[in-house]
Amino acid sequence: MRWRHPVFVCLLLALTAIAAATEEAGVSIRDAWVREAPPGATMMAGYMVLKNNTPRSQVLVAARSSGFGTVMIHRTVVKGGLTGMEHAPKIELLPNASLLFEPGGYHLMLLNPKRALHAGDRVDIKLEFLGGLVIPVAYEVRK
Amino acid sequence: MITSVALAAMFSGAWLAETYREHESRAMLLPDQVITLFPDPKPLTAFALTDDRNQVFDLASLKGKWSFLFFGFTHCPDVCPTTLAVLARARDSIAKNMAGAEDIQFVFVSVDPNRDTTSKLRQYVDYFDTSFLGVTGDKAQISNLAGQLGAAYQVAFTPGMENYPVYHTTAVFLLDPRARYHAVFTPPHDAEAISRRFKVVRELEAGNAT
Repeated sequence: MRWRHPVFVCLLLALTAIAAATEEAGVSIRDAWVREAPPGATMMAGYMVLKNNTPRSQVLVAARSSGFGTVMIHRTVVKGGLTGMEHAPKIELLPNASLLFEPGGYHLMLLNPKRALHAGDRVDIKLEFLGGLVIPVAYEVRK
Repeated sequence: MITSVALAAMFSGAWLAETYREHESRAMLLPDQVITLFPDPKPLTAFALTDDRNQVFDLASLKGKWSFLFFGFTHCPDVCPTTLAVLARARDSIAKNMAGAEDIQFVFVSVDPNRDTTSKLRQYVDYFDTSFLGVTGDKAQISNLAGQLGAAYQVAFTPGMENYPVYHTTAVFLLDPRARYHAVFTPPHDAEAISRRFKVVRELEAGNAT
């Protein structure tokens, strides 16, 4: 019955807790917001700051939400004086680096919201990373 | 990076205004990150579009007012709402700090008439500022006006595809009350910078007229 030793159990619990915390903090997200859309507009954009807290690259490959018809990772690009959007199939977050999703750059393209969203509402979107890490993020709708 | 560009723009703005006071219109020739002024503004020629009240929007609609024109489309989640929000703040600032906003108008020209009906446009622009005007029309006439301003755009229309992409310039074009292409604001746009530059432009033009 050595495995029932209280110290051992405590150690095991502590290790489990540390592992869980590390997994959760692998990539942290802050300032997550979605721009309120003008009435009738069917396309919205989501922004955030991602921080990779691990010593290895993390690759964002998808974003999903049941609140929209389609969610895609896009980037606003300027080519030859013309501004447009292009799909970003994967984005690498370098070790311990931050990445901005901001107006005029990377954004979540949110198409066909299932209900009208107004400033103050909350939108849930899951971010998926290569290797299976999935992070649920709550976005605040702002004007 | 963006901050330093914005800072440089702010300083060059103050510099432009100061120099203007000292050296009159010579300031017009100084380089600027925010606005490019044309020494010899080009008068526009006839075009015919429709505004969001279903009224004709043509050359006469530009006369007697300073017009800020921005080309875009409503299925644009990032750049268009960002720019229109900046322009709404610029208008507020102009209205507060200067002779007023009675002789200015902000016009959002949709290059995507296939999806942007005039009623849709009205809802869209009203959201940003109820004084904003949404304008569109047939493709040849949009191209006519855009061509006169060198406003590039490309509609990658694909039948059956709901979300075909549209590429467009994000510059804001300034037409003077004589319907001449007077200046262009280059991105990234900042409401205060636009407001301050416009003040100088309007003062210069008032000086020229007398």
